[in-house]
Amino acid sequence: MKCERLSWDLLVKAGDKELSAGEAQFVTDHLAQCADCRRECQEIERFSGYVESAVNRAAVAEQPADREQLAARIGQQARVKAIRAPEKVLRRFGWGMALAATLALGLIVAPRQKAQLTDTTAGSKPAAAESSAIEVDGETFVALPYSNPDLPSLAPRIVQMQVPLSSLAAIGIALEPVASQVLNQDRSVLADVLLGADGQPLGVHVVSWE
Amino acid sequence: MDQGNLLTLPAVPWKAEPVGNGDHSRLLLDLYDREQAPLKRYLAMLGVDPETARDVVQDGFLKLHEHLLAGGEQGNLRAWLYRVVHNGARNTQTSFGARRTGSIDDLDPAASPAAKDLSAEDELLDKERERRVGHAIAQLSVTQRDCLVLRSQGLKYREIAEALQLSVSTVGDNIQRGLERLKELI
Repeated sequence: MKCERLSWDLLVKAGDKELSAGEAQFVTDHLAQCADCRRECQEIERFSGYVESAVNRAAVAEQPADREQLAARIGQQARVKAIRAPEKVLRRFGWGMALAATLALGLIVAPRQKAQLTDTTAGSKPAAAESSAIEVDGETFVALPYSNPDLPSLAPRIVQMQVPLSSLAAIGIALEPVASQVLNQDRSVLADVLLGADGQPLGVHVVSWE
Repeated sequence: MDQGNLLTLPAVPWKAEPVGNGDHSRLLLDLYDREQAPLKRYLAMLGVDPETARDVVQDGFLKLHEHLLAGGEQGNLRAWLYRVVHNGARNTQTSFGARRTGSIDDLDPAASPAAKDLSAEDELLDKERERRVGHAIAQLSVTQRDCLVLRSQGLKYREIAEALQLSVSTVGDNIQRGLERLKELI
């Protein structure tokens, strides 16, 4: 390339229409008066054409049934997606629903366990005897039905949540009064929630009625 | 226990949002009609055999469908498709890089439309030139070759950049250097 005004890079990009409007105009103006650069552009086109012909010679396999097969598989995917959509909704809210269900369970089971604990001798470990309970730092959690018992629980990862009983009632979980307590829909229950290493709740411990 | 870490469930937390299920089949099949042959040619240039290329392309379109069903970005589906197919080809070949070298030499010169209606001498010259071009392309770096092949299929630099996960300036550099190298070799 004899002309030094335009680089090869600029000429390639000009041919590929990858320049800004200002740059493209500059190149066009220059090419109008520079035979060397026009020859370079032809060279670029020639070698680009070689690559294109080599690619177009590549053998491709296309069976008539390929398109129909793809259409059928796309339809199948769409149907599976439609079926799974409710599952996705359940997954989205599953955490909360599982928590609510466990709280309901805890309201019924925990006071009974507490009563049993008072009957056991001092120093014994009731958690070992109760397979659905998780013992962390002396606090007993009712295991969630889907929790993975193989995952380690992390003691610092305990959060306390306040759950309005009306929220539980709204999803159809009916709570029965325990002992002499009268259930009031406007009240809340305070609970410790044990989080597993995966961030999912492992178990729940009802702390108190408010 | 940190009493400040107190959470309250929303009053009505269980209202499910409707999940959209748009029909993308027409869009996908139109794209398939336009792009399946260029995609397969691209895969051939990567050294993928035609039958495997058929599977990789079909899988690429199914992944694109999943992407659309999940509400994924629809900005540049062609580049997205090339990227998925490129990665799919890599996954199907245990020695992806090694098998790519020399793939151009395997191309059949007789398949060229230009091979028809030529005199015997012209045909020989044409075949010889194609052999030299194939040999030269095989000597380019993998990135130079990928960029030039995708460019030959009409992809813009930004599409090539997205497909190969490079910057646009890197794509420009590789195209320029690839062409310069071809000029030296042919």
